[in-house]
Amino acid sequence: MKSSIQINPKDMINASLVFFVVHSAQVGVGIHGFQRVVYQDAEKDAWISVLIAGLATHIVALCMIKTLEIYGSNDLYGIHQEVYGKWIGNFFNVIYILYCGIAFFSVLRNYIEVIQTWIFPGLATWFLSATLIIIIIYAFSGGLRVIVGVSFFSIMLALWIIPMLLFPLKYAYIEALYPILEEDIIAILKGAKSMAFTIIGFEIIQIMYPFVKDKENVKKNVHFSLLFTTILYLIVMLVSLTYYSEGKLEKTIWATLTLFSFISFPFMERFEFVAICFWMLIILPNLCLYLWAAYRGAHRVIKISGTKFVWIFSLLVFIATIFVQSRSQINMINTQFGNIAFYIIFVYPIILLLIVMLKKKFTSKKEQNNEKV
Amino acid sequence: MRKFRIYFILLVLVSILVGCTETNILDRVGLTTLVGYDVGTEEKISTTAVVREINPEFQSNVEVITTENETSKGNRMKANRKLSKKITVGQMRVVLFGEEVAKGDLHFYIDSLLENPSVSNGLYLAVVEGETSELLQHEYKNIDDIGQHIYRLMEQNIKNEHMISSTLHEIAHDYYMKGKDIAMPIINRDEEFVELTGVALFHEGKMVSAFPVEDSFYLKIMRDNFKAGIFETILQKEDIPPALMKDTITEMPVAFDAIRSKRTLKLVDPATPEFDVQLKIKARLLEVHPDINTGDPKVIEALESAVSKNLSKELTRIVAQSQSVQSDIFGFGDKYRSSVRNSELTKDKWHEMYKNMKINVKVKFEILRDGVFE
Repeated sequence: MKSSIQINPKDMINASLVFFVVHSAQVGVGIHGFQRVVYQDAEKDAWISVLIAGLATHIVALCMIKTLEIYGSNDLYGIHQEVYGKWIGNFFNVIYILYCGIAFFSVLRNYIEVIQTWIFPGLATWFLSATLIIIIIYAFSGGLRVIVGVSFFSIMLALWIIPMLLFPLKYAYIEALYPILEEDIIAILKGAKSMAFTIIGFEIIQIMYPFVKDKENVKKNVHFSLLFTTILYLIVMLVSLTYYSEGKLEKTIWATLTLFSFISFPFMERFEFVAICFWMLIILPNLCLYLWAAYRGAHRVIKISGTKFVWIFSLLVFIATIFVQSRSQINMINTQFGNIAFYIIFVYPIILLLIVMLKKKFTSKKEQNNEKV
Repeated sequence: MRKFRIYFILLVLVSILVGCTETNILDRVGLTTLVGYDVGTEEKISTTAVVREINPEFQSNVEVITTENETSKGNRMKANRKLSKKITVGQMRVVLFGEEVAKGDLHFYIDSLLENPSVSNGLYLAVVEGETSELLQHEYKNIDDIGQHIYRLMEQNIKNEHMISSTLHEIAHDYYMKGKDIAMPIINRDEEFVELTGVALFHEGKMVSAFPVEDSFYLKIMRDNFKAGIFETILQKEDIPPALMKDTITEMPVAFDAIRSKRTLKLVDPATPEFDVQLKIKARLLEVHPDINTGDPKVIEALESAVSKNLSKELTRIVAQSQSVQSDIFGFGDKYRSSVRNSELTKDKWHEMYKNMKINVKVKFEILRDGVFE
């Protein structure tokens, strides 16, 4: 196949690292406050919505990997060009690059918002965004292997945050979950759809696939990773539902961070301040991976060099962060982006798989006919 | 290598620039440890703040400042104008409400406390009999820092389960719950001491009634499971079984150390509504009339049933009092919500039902052991 990628084995990564890449791409700023968004739809059955959303990621990931396997060693951009031809294929690629750009922007802006609300109300947006972007450029310039390393360390160093969820359990009332399944199924599915913004990120596998050394193990690692994320989200959701009362959860913007605000140690009065600062490590791979995915796309479409692309991209994002200032604007972007992401990540890969399979059948028949003639 | 150097310089620059944010140096800030809200005479809110100014060379200085303004943040500005140091609220431990404020509506105060990210969710809330400024401005002989003192007083009593817990998280949790109302300790000044004198009951955000401090044990076991705490009760003549005493006395005080109590609620009739409340209490006998032979299992059994009877009478009484003011501080409503499907409960709806609620209290009291001397 003409657009398949040949990569130097030196630049490839092990399939076991895909576990870290997928998980770190999924967990980012969404986990700060997804409880409230889901709760608005599914109320106390929100944890069922989380489970359904987790199941959906497994199904979609299955379709994505199936599509990739058909093409051997190719990424989504190459598949687009193969399936739709050069012009329409590139049109889809540009949409996907834009999607990565918006995702990058959204993560960055949300994190800056959290810092400004909780810790430094006076710190300018441009300063924080410039600081973060410089770090990301630095990581990006190291190439894919460095980015994967960042993902690995981000998870390993952040694991200690999970046991912190035990502290709020002191005030948890299990009764808050009963009666189970009181909401109708439509409301629960709506809640699952609202999870889109929080649970996306695993689409990175569509871009990273050609870079994996042992491709037969990709499937296993991706599914393990998705399972891990789903369980994590489920635990956070259950703790929040039992810790907060009905009305309070609806009014808390960053439920996870407020959850931490109760924790205090003799040597540290307010734990969530540490957690928020530490979160930079968690969003770093998130940002790097989106930037890298966008770069891969741009490279396929217009053959741009990495350095040039990263500066243009960063400048655009930097300008955008300055223009979006208020909470309501950010909220609107999150909701709209969540909606778009739902279609791009959860609906489109299934359609793409169908098209690819149809096309394969069609061409193989044609080839058979050709042979006969 | 040159490329690397550019990034390196940028990183160094950034890390230096981080130092340019707003600083809060301990010597230059006043730590607000306690805030009391009253109804102002001219403006809406009168605030009394206890501010501790840390001084590395001398002893720390504690200032009590009362200001009046329309909002609580406005009051902070006014207090700032009276101090040489910047006021911060990150170390706030207790918030007190004057009786008049509590009888108005606390919704505004709860929300504005929750809104501020530098306020901890673990601070204690309480109601003061009369005005908070009067309590805080008084010059106590033995208390240096009134803010720290009230905090320690509340913390000690709540940790040892002598008083119901009233952290901001719990109050906000119950306030935003459909089937529960809030309750807070009441604080008062008794000459040179500050003491806990009772428990305030709220109907939504308004204080409607109060229990004397002696009832706080009953409130605790009725509200939740319980782990420690001493309580005393007086057995009336009709409750004392004849097997227990030969000579006739009118009343008999007994003291227990409750080791564990477990509350089980069961909704038996959703229409009325009617609840079965089952309490299992395991206790240690501490003080009893010297004529009672605690070595005799029969006597212990008689004593157990006498205390059980007495407890269920008292518990029914306190629930009845809370029903008369429509303040469900025990969370019966939440049990109702979680057991009845599609109840679509609202706070108002529950308050209406709560008035007519029936409860059957069953207490199973068990004396595990007494002291080392029978």
